[in-house]
Amino acid sequence: MKAKRILGHAARILLLAAITALFVYPFWWMVVNSLNTAAQVVGTPTLLPVSWRWENYREIFRIQPFARHLLNSIEVALVGTAGNILLSALAGYGFARLRFPGRNLLFVLLLTALMMPIEVIIVPLFFQMLGWGINDSLIPLMLIPIFGAQGAFSTFMFRQFFVTVPLELEEAARLDGLGHLGIFARIMLPIATPVISSAAILAFLAAWNTYLEPLVFINSIEKYTLPLSLNNFNDAYGQPQWNLQMAATTVSVVPIMLVYLIFQEKVTDAMVNSGLKG
Amino acid sequence: MKKWFAALLTLMLVLALAVPAMAEDTVALKIATWTSNESQLELLGSFVEEFAQLKGIGIDVTFESIDYNEYNTKLLLELQGSDAPDLYWVLETSAPAFIASGNLAKLNDALAAYDPDDISEGAFALWKDGEDVYAVPFSTSPFILIYNVDLFRQAGVKTPDELIAEDSWTWETFREISKQIKDATGVWGYQTVDGDGYNTRVLHNLLPIIRAFGGDAWDEDGNVLIDSEESVAAVQLFHDMVYVDGSVVPPGDESSFYTGAAAMTVGQISRLSNLDEVTWEWGICTLPGNSPVIGQAALGAFSGSKNVEIAAELAAYMTSESCAARIAGIWPPTRKAVLDSDDFLTSNSRIAPEQMKSAVAASIETGRVLPAHVLYPQIEVEAKIAYDKLWNANADVAAIMKDVADVYRSYLN
Amino acid sequence: MKNASSARTLRRNEALAGYAFVLPQMIGFCALVLLPLVNVFIYSFHDKNMLFGTNRFVGFDQYVKLFTNDKLFYTTLGNTFIFSILLVPLNLILSLLLALYLGEGRFGTRYICTVIFLPVVTSGVAWAIVWKYLLQGGTTGPVNWFLSLLGIQGPNWLMEKGWAMFSVVVNRVLKNLGTNVLIFFGAVMNMPSDVIEAARMDGASGLTLLRRIKLPLLMPTILMVSIVTMIGSMRVFDTIRLMTDGGPEGSTMVLVYYIYHQAFKMFNTGYASAIAVVLFVIVLMLTLVQWGLRGRLSHYES
Repeated sequence: MKAKRILGHAARILLLAAITALFVYPFWWMVVNSLNTAAQVVGTPTLLPVSWRWENYREIFRIQPFARHLLNSIEVALVGTAGNILLSALAGYGFARLRFPGRNLLFVLLLTALMMPIEVIIVPLFFQMLGWGINDSLIPLMLIPIFGAQGAFSTFMFRQFFVTVPLELEEAARLDGLGHLGIFARIMLPIATPVISSAAILAFLAAWNTYLEPLVFINSIEKYTLPLSLNNFNDAYGQPQWNLQMAATTVSVVPIMLVYLIFQEKVTDAMVNSGLKG
Repeated sequence: MKKWFAALLTLMLVLALAVPAMAEDTVALKIATWTSNESQLELLGSFVEEFAQLKGIGIDVTFESIDYNEYNTKLLLELQGSDAPDLYWVLETSAPAFIASGNLAKLNDALAAYDPDDISEGAFALWKDGEDVYAVPFSTSPFILIYNVDLFRQAGVKTPDELIAEDSWTWETFREISKQIKDATGVWGYQTVDGDGYNTRVLHNLLPIIRAFGGDAWDEDGNVLIDSEESVAAVQLFHDMVYVDGSVVPPGDESSFYTGAAAMTVGQISRLSNLDEVTWEWGICTLPGNSPVIGQAALGAFSGSKNVEIAAELAAYMTSESCAARIAGIWPPTRKAVLDSDDFLTSNSRIAPEQMKSAVAASIETGRVLPAHVLYPQIEVEAKIAYDKLWNANADVAAIMKDVADVYRSYLN
Repeated sequence: MKNASSARTLRRNEALAGYAFVLPQMIGFCALVLLPLVNVFIYSFHDKNMLFGTNRFVGFDQYVKLFTNDKLFYTTLGNTFIFSILLVPLNLILSLLLALYLGEGRFGTRYICTVIFLPVVTSGVAWAIVWKYLLQGGTTGPVNWFLSLLGIQGPNWLMEKGWAMFSVVVNRVLKNLGTNVLIFFGAVMNMPSDVIEAARMDGASGLTLLRRIKLPLLMPTILMVSIVTMIGSMRVFDTIRLMTDGGPEGSTMVLVYYIYHQAFKMFNTGYASAIAVVLFVIVLMLTLVQWGLRGRLSHYES
């Protein structure tokens, strides 16, 4: 019996070690090598940086406009998230609480966006952005999280939430003389904060991490977002500079990770919601 | 009051004269390249400035550096848009495709002022369609061998230059010294060109050997030779180096010559700036077998540019003799006047004149470009899948080269 | 009479307001989802090449070529299938086991919940770049270095056929495992404890309990998650592009990557659209299955 307990204990420790190796070590390795020289990155792995080259972190801003790329990513993610929340909250309210002919049809139509992988429509989207004269700008990267699958999903979440709000709440507000917009802004939005936070987290991550879209729409290096930038730490002949790549990756990953650790519950809730979407 | 008024009037007059003059005569031009080396771009920028002064206009030039491996994709996406480059570099393999696409402006008139006959016939062939010139080659840069002298001394192995002096510089001896180095020092004997020899630069890697053995990818009449006996034997030699001798940095390993992790590599002279900071001694020489690959690059003007005429003239100017002479140390020239001059031999401060002669100039003489084709982008993608099969220890080289040949044939016929 | 008309006015106002509320979202949807979807169908009937600027109506020619004369397409389709077939079970089994373990409330639960979510919030690009180095061949990569300590010579993960596919699958599984673990964790915690207790009283334990009681209770969630995971697996792009670039020998070239290749490397935008239509049909079918399942399951649950 005792042997079995010890065995169980050992198994659990092994499990924790395996999980640490698979989920924590890659990030640790990234940080360690962001402080190494290029040659050390391909050398024998160490648990701590060999040379503590902090200047790698200065170098990444010199070798390409990395600060610009950071700002671009922030800009895209913030505008995309704000637009996503605003428009999908409006639409979600409309679909949930206002009756109008064709409501269900429109809603189902909108939901088709949920199952539309961006990869299917990327080619026509490219030509469309070209026609509108907004390729090689951040605008498409903001529009897609607002109106694409992510927008439909947020609308869906808001609608599901607003449907459950008791009618009395609205009646009372109407007696107070509030119109539809007033009810939406004063009554509905404030009670929808959990949905807002979920939808915002998802939209932010989607906009922040998007890769195919900038790859296709963006050309100028000043317009790059982080995912493009990370893979662009090459020397003049296209050879990657691994240590700088790791430093830049660290800069792009760590802030998000800190935010996650602070708001862990909210983030996991949101992701679990999205996992069940559709 | 009157004075004040007169002053104002004068000011307005001056402004009226000056502003339009500035606004009209300053053109913004964008030039796409695949180098991002600052000093190289600075040099190119100075040519643009000279040209502007010569023409008496202002040019607001921006250089756009596109990653080599992504060059065609990014360039073409840009050419579709409103922010397209006015001039751009073209890779030799995509020359026919770009000429056929109509994305290159005709340069005959612009070039007439700069003695086009001086450009060597061989280098020019790819960039002309009949008599029409669509881009001007500014670089005809052979791939040469770069080696780490210290590592050779340490291993007690004869250096390539010593083998050349003995007249025994062949791919077979190359294979031997690569293995000797690996066995003696544990350091890799050889790294393929920029480590890309297994993927994007597979032809740069294999063709010098294949051609030395008497094979080729395909010939001018469209006969596919990549599965010929000679070609297969050549590929087998390289394959054995990787998988039998284990002396070549294998696929997926990021060890680099430039950080001292391999004793030899192949590169162009523009690549030597990478060695400015190394502490070890290095040398250069021709590749064995006397059939190096030459990388060509040309400058063309975008036919859809708003300033296509100025762009065409600029392209002609930037490839003129005067400019070619000044970039010769980075990009060996296609102009005979420069190539034959003594200045060329001293044009790269990193390379001694005799090396420039024995390694670079000699390679230009014997080397040839990669095969090109109007559908090259397609061929490259499909052929890569076949080439990939080579990178296994027990690959059947002959069968795989047959597969590659099938891909080539499907496009060439 | 007056009442009726004012009610009608009210209703009309409400309808107008309704349209106004949904209008911005719907306009954007039409412009950025519906219009390109219509276009992808139109393009698929055109020989449209970006390099040569051609755009010629060719009817079904490209579909004919796709299905009868494009070996690479079948390779790609097969790879996509293999990718999903490997990824979905691996993901489900691992996440289910972890969720069941977490459900026991042993020590380390909170730690595991936290760290398995780290890759979920990380961009796929960063995750792929880091793993590319971890999986280097020879003994320089940390994974192979570790294996060499155990006396095992690791393969050249990303360069060998088979291992490359395995590597990208594992990379994707680890990236998204956290979400599924937490979904299952939620379902495990929601299992009616009286049923399980009753079964335990009857002497069921360990595997029997799992097989007879727990798994059937979790089945609805498992089905939903597997479909959602499968749809997600159709869309793997960044991992493939950054880790293997579709190689070696095209063995990790999946549908979305083939679309990208045809459109933006070979510039056959029309042909790429035909492939995109195939992808669309596959995803559509999976989604219909999912919706059907959802309807039946919610019916079953109530």
